[in-house]
Amino acid sequence: MKYFLFVLLMSFSAVTFAVEEAQTFHNEQQAKLFKELSLELRCPKCQNQNIADSNAVVAKDLRDKVIELVKKNESKDYIVDYMIDRYGYFVHYKPPVTASTLVLWILPILFVLIGFGSIVFRQKKSSLKQDWSDKDEDKLSKLILKYQNTSVEDKQELS
Amino acid sequence: MSSDNKKSKLVFAVPLIIFLLLCVFLFKGLFSNPRELQTGRLGQAVPAFTLPDLMVDDKLWSDKDLAGKVYLINVWGTWCTTCLVELPYLTKLRERGVNIIGLYLEQGYDPDFDGEFNIQALRDEVSQMLARTGNPYQYNIFDLNRSLAFDLGVSGAPETFLVDSKGVILLHHTGDLNERIWRAKFASKFTELKEVKL
Repeated sequence: MKYFLFVLLMSFSAVTFAVEEAQTFHNEQQAKLFKELSLELRCPKCQNQNIADSNAVVAKDLRDKVIELVKKNESKDYIVDYMIDRYGYFVHYKPPVTASTLVLWILPILFVLIGFGSIVFRQKKSSLKQDWSDKDEDKLSKLILKYQNTSVEDKQELS
Repeated sequence: MSSDNKKSKLVFAVPLIIFLLLCVFLFKGLFSNPRELQTGRLGQAVPAFTLPDLMVDDKLWSDKDLAGKVYLINVWGTWCTTCLVELPYLTKLRERGVNIIGLYLEQGYDPDFDGEFNIQALRDEVSQMLARTGNPYQYNIFDLNRSLAFDLGVSGAPETFLVDSKGVILLHHTGDLNERIWRAKFASKFTELKEVKL
């Protein structure tokens, strides 16, 4: 019975929460945009949290501002720029390519290129090193013949 | 064979060089302060505002009142412990001739829950605190809804902005202002502006 009550209460609280969320915006699109932005904008006070995740006063102010601008039907780019104007590039989780962030973009590509490059380079090098002359070919065919024969003899012996 | 040798040495050197560069980059990162945030407003004018005075009824301040001199905007609050530490130093700066305007940042007020704001209680608190530490401020702008603070890119208190006589924001410092920070960040700008010789 206790368990049943618990589940009942939990489900009710979830329902009210969902209604509250939906009431805030005029349409589905705005709600979606708000959700997107609150995950993408970074709380200036708390290093590794987005504004949806943080309860800092400034995060709440940012959320309220996003709601206000979304309700005015502003575009996503406009809202992101609005925040960057005030809080700098720090506030957006997608840093633009600048001189100081270049290393973040280039390094992974560089690693992959160098990795594959070195594999290809090594393979080429090792395949080039095997010089194969007619003499070697002769030797090989002799060896093949020899061991073919012995194996045939072996079989005969066995039988 | 020797040119081959050189080549392979070079190939081995490339990852080493990249590794060393990365080390330099990350080593520098060790000493960078992640709390050191810069407003996006640097080099721009102070955003337009009209806000009431903290201590005087019916007195309004706007961005136009600030124009014409070099000054600091100091963001603070009675709830902020670091401000309590910083205030005596700011008072010293004022005695040395630096104009400081306070932006009082109200932390927790939410009109939906708290009802009407009790300004008298806050004024008493402010007077008490400034009596203890000295009063560095020419006057205080009261930003109840944190609107100017938001437009300035303030994320907490204390924070300090340096504004020149044209109303352009030159510096933004998050955290307390002390002698060391003043010398490292502010003093040279101030002498450049020839407002005060320090």
